Amino acid sequence: MIRLLKQTLFREFRKFETKQHELNYLFWECTTRCNLNCRHCGSDCSKDSMHKDMPLDDFLKALDTIESPAENFTVVLTGGEPLLRKDIETCGREIRKRGMRWSMVSNGYLYNETNHNSLLNAGLGALTISIDGLESSHNWLRNNDKSFERVDIAIGLAASSSRLNFDVVTCVNKHNFQELEDLRKYLIMKGVKAWRLFTIIPIGRAKEDEEMFLTENQFKGLMDFISESRLKNDIDVKFSCEGYVGRYESKVRDSNFFCRAGINIGSILIDGSISACPNIDRTFVQGNIYTDNFFSVWQTKFNIFRDRSWTKTGKCAECKEYKNCQGNGFHYWHGEKKNVLVCHNEQLKKATNQ
Amino acid sequence: MKIKTKDWKRKIIGGLCLTSIAFVFQACYGTPQDFGNDLLVEGLVKSKKTGLPIKGIKVSVADKVQYTNTNENGEFSFYIEKLQNTKIRFTDTDSTQNYLFSNKDTLVTIKEPLQTSKGAKVYLNIELENK
Repeated sequence: MIRLLKQTLFREFRKFETKQHELNYLFWECTTRCNLNCRHCGSDCSKDSMHKDMPLDDFLKALDTIESPAENFTVVLTGGEPLLRKDIETCGREIRKRGMRWSMVSNGYLYNETNHNSLLNAGLGALTISIDGLESSHNWLRNNDKSFERVDIAIGLAASSSRLNFDVVTCVNKHNFQELEDLRKYLIMKGVKAWRLFTIIPIGRAKEDEEMFLTENQFKGLMDFISESRLKNDIDVKFSCEGYVGRYESKVRDSNFFCRAGINIGSILIDGSISACPNIDRTFVQGNIYTDNFFSVWQTKFNIFRDRSWTKTGKCAECKEYKNCQGNGFHYWHGEKKNVLVCHNEQLKKATNQ
Repeated sequence: MKIKTKDWKRKIIGGLCLTSIAFVFQACYGTPQDFGNDLLVEGLVKSKKTGLPIKGIKVSVADKVQYTNTNENGEFSFYIEKLQNTKIRFTDTDSTQNYLFSNKDTLVTIKEPLQTSKGAKVYLNIELENK
């Protein structure tokens, strides 16, 4: 009864948030160069990207169109690997000069004591570092023998800072599924306070590799692992906001599933495209900072993100839980958009023979 | 730019969901949100004797790894964690290269910052004695 009441209220809250569509969170794909060549990369980044890094001034011009930034408005630097930019601290300071905050997603390979210091000096407020298993599994997925050694240093440094709102993310796959408990213990030992777990999206390099994807039973196992870990209270473990997980919703996250792409989350991509999260199909692009006013696009376009009724197609058409899910994470709509790429709730139902 | 306050309606409706967490979110492949637990410390380091700026003075947060150095004009600027009291240490690390100065500690308290629309800020004017 309470669960149903909470769900109903949350749906009202979601409607309100959608109507308001306050921009709280802006990704900046500041580079598509990357120093690693991960097996699961959804963006197909490479060492020699076809795109040049976006000049800081171009990004700032777009940022300056935002009329009244929301409280806690954050610019999230992503890539590629943001630390490949030589001017990353200057980027951060310019964002802070505007009264905004900034954070960064990194693979941790280049994160050392020197740039830990300079990034904090430049006002870095939050950081996410990826680790995809213990040494052998992580190095396998990252395609690099030194990757674990380097990320271990990065995690130690980031976890030592009480200033940073820091978390670690892990893409769970067939390779690392069996070592999640050991990885949990390792992260606790390193002083990590928060850990987010993902599955891998079947796009980019990952698409053709079966090793990347959990079976239905393994996916249910992942939900059970997260639920049980959350009860232990020694590290804040959660499932990412990637998809709706039915009866596990209240057990694996702090809040109900709500894909805020295009509602509270926007992005400026490497070529100036304006969209929501960077992993969303690029056919959903709403404009370009080189030809449009960024904030005007945010305010007046994005209808396809804010009215998701078009996702009631394919397996979503007859789904009884559609009103709670609304087509799963937006990044699961690709190509012809006739069907959602992955339905997490369906996987769980199959695993439990419901 | 003016930072607008969160709409009260949003807070009421979110609160009714029986979870304040509704306001705290992060994108799937993004970072946690930053709630701004820091302040900008800027300043100028001069020689007490000559009144001239001193370059190359290490400005650090005592008992932490974080530090910066004064530039050619004796200026420094860095963000530090916002704590009740933070000791900032000024250390001459380049030995006799531009004279020798005594170290100095100064305390920044949470009451001091100037709250601006662009965040909390403290300005320090520091004079170092010649050794």
